[in-house]
Amino acid sequence: MLGNEAIARAAAESGVKVVAGYPGTPSTEIVDLCGSYPGVYAEWSANEKHAFEVATAASLTNQRSMAVMKHNGTNAAADFLMHVCFTGIRAGMVLISADDPGGLSSQCEEDTRILIHKYAHLPVFDPSSVQEAYAMTKAAFELSEQTELVFALRPVMRINHAGSLVEYGEVLPSNRKVEFVIDRSRFVMSAVVEKESGGELRPKMRHRWLNAKQKELKALMEASPFNWLEDAPGETGFIGCGIGYAFIKEAQQILGRKLPILKLSTLPLAEEKVLAFVRGRKRVVVFEEIEPVVATLIKALCFEHKISLEVLGRDTYLPQEGELSTNFVLTAIEAASAGKPYPVAAKSEYVPARTRTQCSGCSHRGLLIAMKEVVRKNGGVVTGDIGCHDAGTFDPIKLQATIYCMGSSIPMAYGIKKAGFDKPVYALIGDSTFFHNGLTGLASAISNNGDVIVVVAYNSTTAMTGFQPHPGSSNNLSQPTTPIDPGTVAAAMGAKVFRCNPYNVEETIEVLVAATAATGVRVVVAEALCYLRFSREGKISFVPKNISIDREVCNGCGLCVRTFGCPAITLVDGKANIESSGCNGCGVCVFVCKQGAIK
Amino acid sequence: MKFDLVIAGVGGQGNILASQVIAKCAMDAGYNIVNTETKGAAQRGGSVLSHVRVSTDEIFSPLVPAGQADVLLGFEPLEALRFIGLLNKNGRFIINTAPIRTILSNMNVDEYPTTQQMVENIKSRGLQGYFLDATQAAKELGNILLTNVIMLGAFTEISDLLPGDVILQKLLSQVEEKFHADDTKAFEAGRKLIQSKMK
Repeated sequence: MLGNEAIARAAAESGVKVVAGYPGTPSTEIVDLCGSYPGVYAEWSANEKHAFEVATAASLTNQRSMAVMKHNGTNAAADFLMHVCFTGIRAGMVLISADDPGGLSSQCEEDTRILIHKYAHLPVFDPSSVQEAYAMTKAAFELSEQTELVFALRPVMRINHAGSLVEYGEVLPSNRKVEFVIDRSRFVMSAVVEKESGGELRPKMRHRWLNAKQKELKALMEASPFNWLEDAPGETGFIGCGIGYAFIKEAQQILGRKLPILKLSTLPLAEEKVLAFVRGRKRVVVFEEIEPVVATLIKALCFEHKISLEVLGRDTYLPQEGELSTNFVLTAIEAASAGKPYPVAAKSEYVPARTRTQCSGCSHRGLLIAMKEVVRKNGGVVTGDIGCHDAGTFDPIKLQATIYCMGSSIPMAYGIKKAGFDKPVYALIGDSTFFHNGLTGLASAISNNGDVIVVVAYNSTTAMTGFQPHPGSSNNLSQPTTPIDPGTVAAAMGAKVFRCNPYNVEETIEVLVAATAATGVRVVVAEALCYLRFSREGKISFVPKNISIDREVCNGCGLCVRTFGCPAITLVDGKANIESSGCNGCGVCVFVCKQGAIK
Repeated sequence: MKFDLVIAGVGGQGNILASQVIAKCAMDAGYNIVNTETKGAAQRGGSVLSHVRVSTDEIFSPLVPAGQADVLLGFEPLEALRFIGLLNKNGRFIINTAPIRTILSNMNVDEYPTTQQMVENIKSRGLQGYFLDATQAAKELGNILLTNVIMLGAFTEISDLLPGDVILQKLLSQVEEKFHADDTKAFEAGRKLIQSKMK
């Protein structure tokens, strides 16, 4: 069972009724899998904040719920997080906030324990194995209901995507009463005076409530089965948090000797366990993904208890960035036990990288090439966004000049113009991202008389994460829905809307040129189905052609390879060659060849 | 007993299917197994590495550490070179020598090494194993997509972990019936390729 399957299973066994999320590696599969259990309502919300809100509303209606997202999504949901922590919830509710140490499949690497625990003061479980992710999810539902607080599970990529044997239980029907009890003193977060508490403002009262909860949480974590001590003599102790514990245990297997280990997989910290472990030791090494959250808490604890201890964590000793590994832990064990610094890693030899690109037959490639052609002539700038089209920023196309987070392309594009930039500025955004957090940016552009060309790559799916539907799709999980057309929305908001099929590069260039010549906020909807997703159903947005290269006409200039990057085209013996098994016949490459050799 | 396998390849080569077949057979045989893949952008031509860990003891981490793999299957030579450091000193490799060039090397930004350079680089590390052209063998059988099945068949010749026929039956149970005849042929072809090199 994969980590994500184990989490979904545990939620179903815990009687979860409503699951909401937004796709993001490594947590994506959980939502789909939850939806496969009878009686569970699962949805793809437009963004993570809305998923969190939907799940919380279900909890307030006395139904167990779960919100599922990756770390970037937890950022998007942070505003709501900083309110739900003060109100608390009713039925058990779990937040899955998956982190991606090393940024293997993300725009950034970050540790959401900081947002959830240090910022919102909510409890976090950090699983060390797939089996533990299952057990923690079940415990989180129970404890959430008991404490009236959202419990978070923070799995990392290597838990979500690991497969292992899992012992699991029964999914029993849940017959909880559907009941929404109005309690404004809790669920209305506002600066109102609370008469009962002597005229205090509600935000301060709720803050006090949350602070008082910390004592209860600490006691729970002290008794938690997820923290334990494996004692052994030694002046250097090793603390493993989440998957850090797994790497210590493997290092111990390889070394063939018993190490003093403390496993800490919960926040708040099990302080008594820490104190029992550190007393009499000279130093501890703390292995945790990604930031020194636990290491910093241990330092503060030792300071309070006047314990002198070297705490070697990711801020003081270990590499501060990237993923942990068994090798990393082995190196640290050896160095720390000898009282030496962590050795500087030798530079490894460079093996030619395999960069990501658009699939053969992808509609984005036509759009990227058309935009490149227009921008090359007018000196414009393109701000980028999240999605498959982001590969357009790499070699060979190198189009987008910025990529930050979901929806940033539009405000950044009109911001460049507001700063006085005198060439055209384009925002390139996918459809799922447009609905996630692009609409408000578009409203901001329009209401500020922005001067921008927004290009929406409308391929009807969230392709990057494995083809999840979004508000522009004609379904949501298993239910059919009415797709929202980005162009209709943009027109209603007051933008000038243009349309093109990106497989037709000439037409797309004409439309882009016309949009560039217009003024104000222009939205170009480049509409064509995702080839990889929809060709399986026989639906494609081009007429397939038998593409071949006329080797007599090809002069070997290599433009098709250097500027285009379709995986099906290579140079063989100095001339272009199309691998027929890799070509899907979209024909976009015909435009690229200036010699007319691609037919 | 512990057995660590890594399979290095390029998205679309069927790396993950091959690793899952081995993992499932090991599970059926009563071993503990943990497996994972790095496949973020795999279907877009990226590098894919599958880890399969099999043991009679507890397995803690899903990732095979550097210098611990007992077998490395390289579906593509550059990817094999990228991950060759995972193999332990007594481990063995089977590497398909048919290159899949990178986009950057097509553009002359990177230099894709020659097959000879890659083979020599790997040989210079003092590791034991076999080089074969599984892609060519798959083409001869009429379908380049059989490369992974040939590699899987080849694997059963160098490992005592699981009987070859069990792996073949598991593979067939995972694919549509119309592929069974070709898959069986490819699997046997992979076994024979290794047998001929052992002589």
